[in-house]
Amino acid sequence: MRFDKKEAYLDLLQSGTGIFLALFIMGHLVFEASILISNEMMYKVTLMFEGFYLFGERHAWIISVLAGIVLVVFITHALIALRRFPADYKRYKIIKHHTKSFAHEDTTLWSVQVATGFMMFFLGSVHLVMMISTPDKIGPFLSSYRVVHEYMWVVYFLLLLSVVTHAFIGLYRVMLKWGIFESDDPKTYRKLLKSAMRGFIVLYLFLGLASLAKYSYIGMTHNYEKTKIYKEVTQ
Amino acid sequence: MKIIYSDALVVGGGLAGLRVATGVKERGHNVIVLTLVPPKRSHSAAAQGGMQASLGNCVMGEGDNEDVHFLDTIKGSDWGADQKVARMFTHCAPKAIRELAYWGVPWTRVRAGEHSAVINAKRVTLTEKQEAHGYITARDFGGTKKWRTCYTSDGTGHSMLYAMDNKAQEDKIEVHERLEAIALIHENNRCYGVVARNLMNGELVAYVAKATTIATGGYGRIYSVSTNAIICEGIGQAIALESGVATLGNMEAIQFHPTAIVPAGILVTEGCRGDGGVLRDVDGYRFMPDYEPEKKELASRDVVSRRMTEHMRKGKGVKSPYGDHVWLDITILGKEHIEKNLREVKEICENFLGIDPVKEWIPVRPTQHYSMGGIRTKYTGESQTMQGLYSAGEAACWDLHGFNRLGGNSVSETVVSGMLVAEYISDFLDSKESAIDINTKTIESFVQKEHQKLEELLGKDEGEDAYELRERMEEIMMQKVGIFRNGVELQEAVDELQELLKRSKNIAVKRSKSRGANPALENAYRTQKMLKIAVCVAYGAFLRTESRGAHSREDFPKRDDANWLKRTIVRWDDENATLPEVSYEDIDIASMELPPGFRGYGKDLTSHHKDTQKRVEEVEKIKQELEQKGANRFEIQEALMPFKEDLPKKYRGFNERLGGIE
Amino acid sequence: MNRELTIDILRYDPNQPEIKPYIASYKIQEQVGMTLFVALNEIRKHHDSSLKFDFVCRAGICGSCSMLVNGKPSLACKTLTQKLDSHIRLAPLPVFELIGDLSVFTGNWMRGLNERLESWIHHKEEELEVDKLEKPMDPDVADDVYELDRCIECGCCVAGCGTLQMNENFVGAVGLNKIARYQLDPRDKRDEKEYYELVGNEDGVFGCMTLLGCEDVCSKNLPLQSKIAYLRRVMAKTALKKKD
Repeated sequence: MRFDKKEAYLDLLQSGTGIFLALFIMGHLVFEASILISNEMMYKVTLMFEGFYLFGERHAWIISVLAGIVLVVFITHALIALRRFPADYKRYKIIKHHTKSFAHEDTTLWSVQVATGFMMFFLGSVHLVMMISTPDKIGPFLSSYRVVHEYMWVVYFLLLLSVVTHAFIGLYRVMLKWGIFESDDPKTYRKLLKSAMRGFIVLYLFLGLASLAKYSYIGMTHNYEKTKIYKEVTQ
Repeated sequence: MKIIYSDALVVGGGLAGLRVATGVKERGHNVIVLTLVPPKRSHSAAAQGGMQASLGNCVMGEGDNEDVHFLDTIKGSDWGADQKVARMFTHCAPKAIRELAYWGVPWTRVRAGEHSAVINAKRVTLTEKQEAHGYITARDFGGTKKWRTCYTSDGTGHSMLYAMDNKAQEDKIEVHERLEAIALIHENNRCYGVVARNLMNGELVAYVAKATTIATGGYGRIYSVSTNAIICEGIGQAIALESGVATLGNMEAIQFHPTAIVPAGILVTEGCRGDGGVLRDVDGYRFMPDYEPEKKELASRDVVSRRMTEHMRKGKGVKSPYGDHVWLDITILGKEHIEKNLREVKEICENFLGIDPVKEWIPVRPTQHYSMGGIRTKYTGESQTMQGLYSAGEAACWDLHGFNRLGGNSVSETVVSGMLVAEYISDFLDSKESAIDINTKTIESFVQKEHQKLEELLGKDEGEDAYELRERMEEIMMQKVGIFRNGVELQEAVDELQELLKRSKNIAVKRSKSRGANPALENAYRTQKMLKIAVCVAYGAFLRTESRGAHSREDFPKRDDANWLKRTIVRWDDENATLPEVSYEDIDIASMELPPGFRGYGKDLTSHHKDTQKRVEEVEKIKQELEQKGANRFEIQEALMPFKEDLPKKYRGFNERLGGIE
Repeated sequence: MNRELTIDILRYDPNQPEIKPYIASYKIQEQVGMTLFVALNEIRKHHDSSLKFDFVCRAGICGSCSMLVNGKPSLACKTLTQKLDSHIRLAPLPVFELIGDLSVFTGNWMRGLNERLESWIHHKEEELEVDKLEKPMDPDVADDVYELDRCIECGCCVAGCGTLQMNENFVGAVGLNKIARYQLDPRDKRDEKEYYELVGNEDGVFGCMTLLGCEDVCSKNLPLQSKIAYLRRVMAKTALKKKD
């Protein structure tokens, strides 16, 4: 046999990109949830990412760059993960049958990851491309407009469901995969991780749904005048 | 007809069989192993407690050596063992264990410094020496003067078998799985291999070899409750017997292990008592000290089993729907010890009894466990009456164990006899004598004969039900050829077993008619064979009108050296007979290193042989003379009973111990 | 009190391919403390003597009797019927070659695996001298090695492995555990690079998708997740360290 580093690198890369994306999502949703505090808060967060507090002026392209980086990592992660997918229909049938008859939680969770991965690949790309191309359209009212009047709530709702479950199941798995922070008692450690995974999924879904509801509320109640749509509203 | 040729053929893939195979292969001969199951599933894996080898590394084993191990083994055998074989064995056991350590058995190691242990139900502190740190440690077992039983937690047999099979894989030993030897191929008192049946597709194959080794383990499954794996059906002994040429020895010598769980009959290791566990009766009372004040729970297995039975007969057993039992209490050892050194025991209790042995007592009773008898061989492992047929391990009556085997000597025997017999076989293979001189017609006739027998079983629509015959046989053995035996019941057993044997000629395999894998067919032909073995056991027990080791006659409680210091030898040359031809092989006192004496349990009831006293004096005299001359223990031993000349050269060296060689 | 059990068994005999696989249903009376070993023998004795299944030790130590019990790979001998519903479904382990009914040929699969992973101690130069003292070994290391040596090759982890379902060349938890065992053992002189060549690939540790079926069905309760993670770290480090 040959000493081939490729597989090691791919495995590291898949886990690394996965951890990066999961952490990104954890942060993203928290920042997103600033809307729950107030419109001003959300706006300040937007300004922060546009480098306003650093440069004294707004640079929306920073967001484009950040979103671009995420998109690259996202695509990389997806492409590497793709090699885990059933290679043909026969294999797909086998694993489907196995998952069903075995009725084993962590095996079933994997098919959840495959499904959510698929969903995210399309929804996430749409979202990211939008952020890259029109980074200046972020803000409490602009975002809300998009959510309600451009029907993005459908995309966001589905994306939220898939991204949150995928991220935390993935984190749970990657921790066990490498034994990150493993204790002397691996069986208890796994139980703990599992509970944490469930807890985080519920927490983040709650947070995300609440934020989405708030944007929808704003979107439905705010008086958008056509000309004002693309202008700042506060201050 | 399919014929597969090899230099050596080994039937059985347990420890003994694999060790023979690797040894023969190492000497440059090709070898094939036939097994019923993957080798790693063999019954060797079930040995929990340990392997005896006089390493003397741990503090309670200090001062141990081959001599002490030899004395323990001979006493344990109630002087039934072949002393030369026992010497060869005790000399090679340390070599075998070191070999296994080299091949990967982790063995539990000595940890320098203080540790706590339970001895005689009291917690004591032992201090292990710094220089012994990391060497193989040992635990206490019944009937031994020193802590000599080396172990890997309580999965000793498992770890040995895995290391051995891995070694066999490294050596590229050819293993043919799911092949059952159902007849020997032989001519002019010379064995040329076996007819084997492929259990997956029913095909009959002739395996022709210069040397054939039977290493198929014991025959415990002739009893309805046994600690043995269900594949331990005595088929290896049966095909040797059915040759009409090879002989079996001491078939009546059956060991009952004191502690198998009730009702499943699964063994919990002697290590439980070795590590400090005690036996309690219905009142929770520890009764063994009353019977055996010195060794208590750690008397020899046969003794403990009898004492337990006696105590239960006094009404002190615990009643259960499955009959009486007593309690094994290991709670005193503590959670940590049990989870580390007795984890299989814990799992067995949890899985099959639903109890936690850390907190609760284990229901146990004596249960059939080991077959001291088997294919009678010379010290080389070769049949005394059939050239080219060898046997090793529990399948053989090599005769290391006589009438009672010490705990920890069985797995030890498998590897020691395996390494020795491999050498003797190789010597034979190297000689001109081993040439195969049998023509294909003859081979074919053996295959044809087996084919016809199988067809006959399948062809009948009306006839006896094998399951029924077998169940009855198992019951008879259980009820009438058990721990305590008597003439009346043994006579009944022999009569009834003969009747069953006659009926077994008319077995019909109903409904399940497949010529491929067919469990009903397998059960049918095995039952026929097992019945012959059962008859040999019961008949041998009936004829032996004395009590020796595990063979205990209520009507003849004395050990009768004057008349019975001999081995029972059976042969079955008339296919239509219902009883074997029985003869006896004298055990020569004049060449004994350790002349017959008192084992030290209960009252001394021995009726001594006339030559015993003479030999005792002789031995004493030789010892004194040599000691005065300043001879060392090896020289004295050599003068009493030389054995090294018969050992393969590579195994003659002295065993090094921590204190050096002396 | 005693239930009537309905046991459905997936039956097929490769020697009789004209009879397609079918489910046979048997009804037996449950007894106290009944295991599937007892139940299946009861069926063979009283209902159908052609039923094929494997038992050897019947005490949970040899690994012969693994089968799918209600879809879950388990050792039948230590499965108490009282812990199951009165309707029990039995099927042979997947992945392995079928001998008939519930009997599968785990032997050749495991043999192939052991040969592929060379699962024996590689001493290299060191020779055995049977007369000399054995090599001492740290008692804790010996215990740790035994912990992993407890695997009984029952095949449950193989049958419960999602990865193996899709990649038949995957070594499974049983294989990875073996490598972890030898890597821990100071007597084995193979270095990390040599282990990497055996399992540093898609068919080895990097193919594992951490579905953890193995960990949850292991009949010896081995720390498979933890050991596979350990091996993955070691192998990844080896890849990062090695210069091309």
